[in-house]
Amino acid sequence: MRFLDLEDEERTEAFPHSLSMDSSRRSFEPIPLAREEGWLLAQAFAVETHGLTKQYSTGVLAVNNLDLRVRVGEVYGFLGPNGAGKTTTLRLLSGLLHPTSGTAIVAGATPGSPASLAQMGAMVETPAFYPYLSGRDNLRVIARYASIPKSRIEPVLKLVDLTDRARYKFKTYSTGMKQRLGVAAALLKGPDLLILDEPTSGLDPQGTIEMRALIKELKTGGRTVLLSSHLLNEVELTCDRVGVIAKGKLVAEGTVDELRARSGGIALLVRATPLDQARRLLESVLKPEHVRVDGSALVLSVDPSQAASINRRLVADGVDVSELRVSEQSLEDVFLQLTENPQGPKA
Amino acid sequence: MIASFRAETLKNRKRWANWILIGILLAWILLLTYLTLFLVVTLSPKSIQGPVPASVIKRRLFPENFVPTVLQAAASIGAAITLIFGALSTASEFGWLTVQTILIQKPTRAGVLFGKFLALGLATVLVGVAMFVAAALASYTAVTLDGSSSAWPAWDVILKAFGALVLQLAVWTAFGAFLGIAFRSAAAAIGGGLTYVFVVEVLLGNLLRTTPIVKEVLKFLPGINGDAITAAFPVTIRDSSAQTQLVTAGRGVVTLLVYLVVFTAASLLIWQRRDVGGS
Repeated sequence: MRFLDLEDEERTEAFPHSLSMDSSRRSFEPIPLAREEGWLLAQAFAVETHGLTKQYSTGVLAVNNLDLRVRVGEVYGFLGPNGAGKTTTLRLLSGLLHPTSGTAIVAGATPGSPASLAQMGAMVETPAFYPYLSGRDNLRVIARYASIPKSRIEPVLKLVDLTDRARYKFKTYSTGMKQRLGVAAALLKGPDLLILDEPTSGLDPQGTIEMRALIKELKTGGRTVLLSSHLLNEVELTCDRVGVIAKGKLVAEGTVDELRARSGGIALLVRATPLDQARRLLESVLKPEHVRVDGSALVLSVDPSQAASINRRLVADGVDVSELRVSEQSLEDVFLQLTENPQGPKA
Repeated sequence: MIASFRAETLKNRKRWANWILIGILLAWILLLTYLTLFLVVTLSPKSIQGPVPASVIKRRLFPENFVPTVLQAAASIGAAITLIFGALSTASEFGWLTVQTILIQKPTRAGVLFGKFLALGLATVLVGVAMFVAAALASYTAVTLDGSSSAWPAWDVILKAFGALVLQLAVWTAFGAFLGIAFRSAAAAIGGGLTYVFVVEVLLGNLLRTTPIVKEVLKFLPGINGDAITAAFPVTIRDSSAQTQLVTAGRGVVTLLVYLVVFTAASLLIWQRRDVGGS
């Protein structure tokens, strides 16, 4: 916490990555790392799990033999459909749940240990605070638990644009304000590792844009961010790498481009009349699994160099082709492919 | 643990429900224990008075008897209020999910729990002080209004009584906190705790006190042991319905200390092992 002893001028010098945004609503100041040296320099991974498994007493296998590696300094997106095991995984990494089997190292230490907790800030699932306390007093309570000087509270309140409402009780907050207070609490320690569960949930469009910008900027100085989300667009815009979890298993991991490439990546989009005749013809020429109907068009998982021959074939068979172009698969397509067929190998 | 203690004291101080509980406790002592009896004894016609003269009954309210009076309040309303206080303190963390917020800060789970129990202990001492001061002021007011004279108990008696009061309140607070952790629900913890206090301790403790087998079981109950400690303090007018104590005051102190340790240890055991969140 040496940062706290520095004067303003010295702070700028020590942490030159001042964050600024176009928005007039707020300007970001650097949230310094809790310490500049330590586990961060010695580790390749901020989070590393081996065979992590959690089976609840009800018999539900929420996390199944999960091997996850989040590199130091990256923004890692944790994607998965509802019930895939995302939040359970984050709870395991935060020490809130005890694993059934497997191991995990978080910020260089066992999850839930003081050494690990001191280096991480987390917002897991719903932001949970004391309803009878104000936003500021809730942060004071957290600061006391974490042995953090209360001088850290105002900067994080300003960062999440809650300064004006900080004196109001938490129970009067809107969903978006609760979410922002949750992020403020996670940032209070100036953690090396930030774990955020659905951080833009409940935010208005402007708040969502600013939160994404904040997340990207937070990794400045080597901070690692692990965020779970069901918003594919958010992950695509924010994350360096993505892990996709389905039924408790990690089914794919890599950059967004790598995942696209893995599941076909580039495709051909064909708009033709009659569509059924075109589909039957292409399924006979190509493999049926390479032909998919997407609304009024066909999406073909083939090499784009085949476009001309496919066009010739369709025309020769009396099909009118009104559009034929290369289509890049969206992350949503990739996500659906991966989560509907979780048996596929990892990228 | 110190960090958690500081956080817990801030929460306890800012929580209105705690101040309301203390208000109810003090109002009970001042209004029901002192004012009501004072008015009944002073204003009721002689025809409805029993064989004991009003002037003698009234002495129960005077400074010479304020120690046993406040200890008896501790055994009934004091037990209920501090049990609710302890249960709210722990069960609310599960209800609001704030348990996960505090467990992902720096301290260990044990550190968080010991900080919480330490803060509850401090609050219990302060509640004990408030009860003593309220009872002393009421006693002083009663004797002044009556125009009588009454001696205060010796300092060593007051100090021992204060210790006895805090010990009893601490056991009920710890019991409430344990139930809150075990049930993870304030309603279940308070409902279960109050049912135990009033059905098992008060009802069965009075009705089946002479039944041989039950009597042996009763000897181990915290309320019965608390009563034995209270009965050890001198009172100038004893209630004619007062019952013989089942255990000695010394055994009562030891039993309550054991309960304090057991409730704390059991709470820690559950707190350490419990998964937070998930199904």
